Amino acid sequence: MPSDNVLIIGGGPAGLEAARLLSDIGVKSTIVEKREYLGGTPIAERYAALTHGFHDAETMMNTMIAAVTDNPLVDVRTNTVVTASEGEAGNFRVTLAKGGNGSTEAVDAGAVILATGFQHFDPGRETQMYGYYEYPDVITLADAEGMLKDGHFRKPSNGEIPERVCFIQCVGSRDRQIGNEYCSKVCCGISSKQAIEVRQLSPTTKVFIFYIDMRMYGYWENEIYWPAQEKHRVQYVKGIITEIIKKGDRLLIRGEDTTMGRPMEIPMDIVVLAVGMEASQGTRQMAQIFGIQQNKYKFIDVPHDSLNPVATSVPGIFVAGAAAGPKDLDDSIGMAGTAAIKAAGLVRKLALA
Amino acid sequence: MPRPLQEQKVLQDQVKEIETLVVDGMDISGHWNRMFGQRVIFDYDYDNLMKVADLPGGESLNWCYGCAKCTAVCPVDIVGDYSPRKIHRKTQMGIDLFKSDDLWLCTTCMNCLRVCPKEVNMIQIMPAVREQAVLNGGVPAELQKAFEDTAKTGNPLGQPQRKRAAWTDKAGVDVPIIADLGRPVDILWYVGSYPSYHPRGMDAASAMARILTALGVDFAILGKEEKDDADSMRLAGEKGLFEMLAEHNINAFNKYEWNEMVVTGPHEFNAFKNEYPKYGFERPIFHYTQFLVRYLDQLKDLMQHEVNAHGICRVTFHDPCYLGRHNGEYEAPRQLLRAIPGVELVEMGRNRENGYCCGGGGGGMWLDSFTKEHTQMRLSERRVLEAVEYQATVLSVACPFEVSRFEDGAKSTGNDQLKVLDILELIDKAING
Repeated sequence: MPSDNVLIIGGGPAGLEAARLLSDIGVKSTIVEKREYLGGTPIAERYAALTHGFHDAETMMNTMIAAVTDNPLVDVRTNTVVTASEGEAGNFRVTLAKGGNGSTEAVDAGAVILATGFQHFDPGRETQMYGYYEYPDVITLADAEGMLKDGHFRKPSNGEIPERVCFIQCVGSRDRQIGNEYCSKVCCGISSKQAIEVRQLSPTTKVFIFYIDMRMYGYWENEIYWPAQEKHRVQYVKGIITEIIKKGDRLLIRGEDTTMGRPMEIPMDIVVLAVGMEASQGTRQMAQIFGIQQNKYKFIDVPHDSLNPVATSVPGIFVAGAAAGPKDLDDSIGMAGTAAIKAAGLVRKLALA
Repeated sequence: MPRPLQEQKVLQDQVKEIETLVVDGMDISGHWNRMFGQRVIFDYDYDNLMKVADLPGGESLNWCYGCAKCTAVCPVDIVGDYSPRKIHRKTQMGIDLFKSDDLWLCTTCMNCLRVCPKEVNMIQIMPAVREQAVLNGGVPAELQKAFEDTAKTGNPLGQPQRKRAAWTDKAGVDVPIIADLGRPVDILWYVGSYPSYHPRGMDAASAMARILTALGVDFAILGKEEKDDADSMRLAGEKGLFEMLAEHNINAFNKYEWNEMVVTGPHEFNAFKNEYPKYGFERPIFHYTQFLVRYLDQLKDLMQHEVNAHGICRVTFHDPCYLGRHNGEYEAPRQLLRAIPGVELVEMGRNRENGYCCGGGGGGMWLDSFTKEHTQMRLSERRVLEAVEYQATVLSVACPFEVSRFEDGAKSTGNDQLKVLDILELIDKAING
């Protein structure tokens, strides 16, 4: 007898949306989340405002969490990981292990939705890029989110209000040597969003963004980039920063201003590295456990022709969100809807057969 | 004591080398005089950009995202190193536009705005910044003189106001002054300063008088009650002067009864049509090409003489920035030209919306020497070369600024064979031989 349950791995935006939509059409699901709480990266990394829309991340995620909490059709398992899987479309038998006591349990599922997300590129991992682990005033987008959430954007080294802040784009993305050749898609928008937030929080602070190409696709152009420049007076300079040198209690950023064709050495108080997306540990582990093909960057390979963005190499297993590569929230939520309907269609067809 | 290198602001980065240079009898030509600017950018002191952005009208300079579409169509950049994108970049890097020579190079031709995706509007930015520079006394001397002459005499040529209608003596037809007529007229013709006083302008004014007479138009001029429109003064930063003259002219216009106004020059046309309404004057205004094109059939009957006895004449037309781009009129002049017997109209590569600029707008008319110091050649000279490249024998114009500019350009580039004629002169020739 095929299972009429859908197993959702990952309790972030994509997983929560898939569970909510499945319950809306009367399909049972189980959410497996390894953290002790739902909400995914926006909650774990303490995001301030979501891009785009500037809505408070915690409030928005709490609304999503509320939709699955105490929902009779959604079985939420936090602090839980998948350790094994067997079977095929219609009849997956998945072993779940509870954190802490290590107790295991087998759960049946007719279909699986992988929503295991991404992790931020770690700029200190291999190359000690930009002195991230050396200079306290060199931070990442994720660090900045937390500071902005606290409403306290100060120099980490001495607590002073920064006179100048800059963002360096494409850190860990579009880089053959690092191995991440792809564009992480959202960092231009996130940097510009944060630049606006910094200017609002600290109007005396001058904010610069150094970039190779500004990739503000769709409405991010007019909703984020243009207001950042025109209204909030963020200064965009074409030319990426190669290295950071410590000078007194400031940072000297060095690169080429490519419009002028001249080197630059500009003093800064805080440097924000616009780190990109990488496949999360969860994404990598689930690919192994379910025997799903990964692409060369370890994201879930979607053997699609653009018309089926949620398919994986294994029938009955679907992917939603940044587990399949860099995604913005709109894309992740859209994929969750597609994955949910495909999963529901599959379990119902099998039940009728 | 020289300051340490890092504290010095050097904003030029070109390697400079003068080909031939002798100083105190010593030959230091070529690499012996080579100088380098500072290479490294030590700061983006963009406060000067924000000083511009804080001015009403100056906001959009800060909107530039550096696509550089403007640079390709900026008439100044073709002969120099200048465009809105470059101005944005320079002010972002610390240049004080209020004190920079760059402030006076823009002719407000509007070709940049036409192509700008962000609507960075130099037509508003330039007057706003220049107005401050004028208040601070930072105006190039020759422009300052034009301002003073206009304030004193009512025209930038510094000619006496009472002689404003003196040109009519040589028109060969009666040119009625509206005050003398003592009755309403159908058409009030605003002649303009250059047609009233400049020898080549007078030729066009006389031609216009003869054409209107031949057409039987009931017209009159204001004579000594007419003063300069000062639209170019406004764009060059003298808003006060513009307002003063606007008040005078509007009073003069309102003093008499007339149905429609025809103006000789596109700058005046722009002033009366687009600026004077802000001061309460809103009446039907037409550039002479728009007015005459109504009489096209009648003109065709009247124009019985070939303009060139020696055969077909290859005529090209230079679109005035303030008739074309600023006010959207491209066809009327061409319809007139095509109707003239013996004229073959040939278009230059840059025509209509993308027409080049003669360099006379936005105050450029009175910045000739200043601009020459900052460019390889005058814009008018560059345009003459284009007309020659397209094998025109006549460069026809419809703006009183242009005849003298292009004639000088033809001479200075060794192209004396190129005739520069106002469309009015061509029509007059075709009617009267």
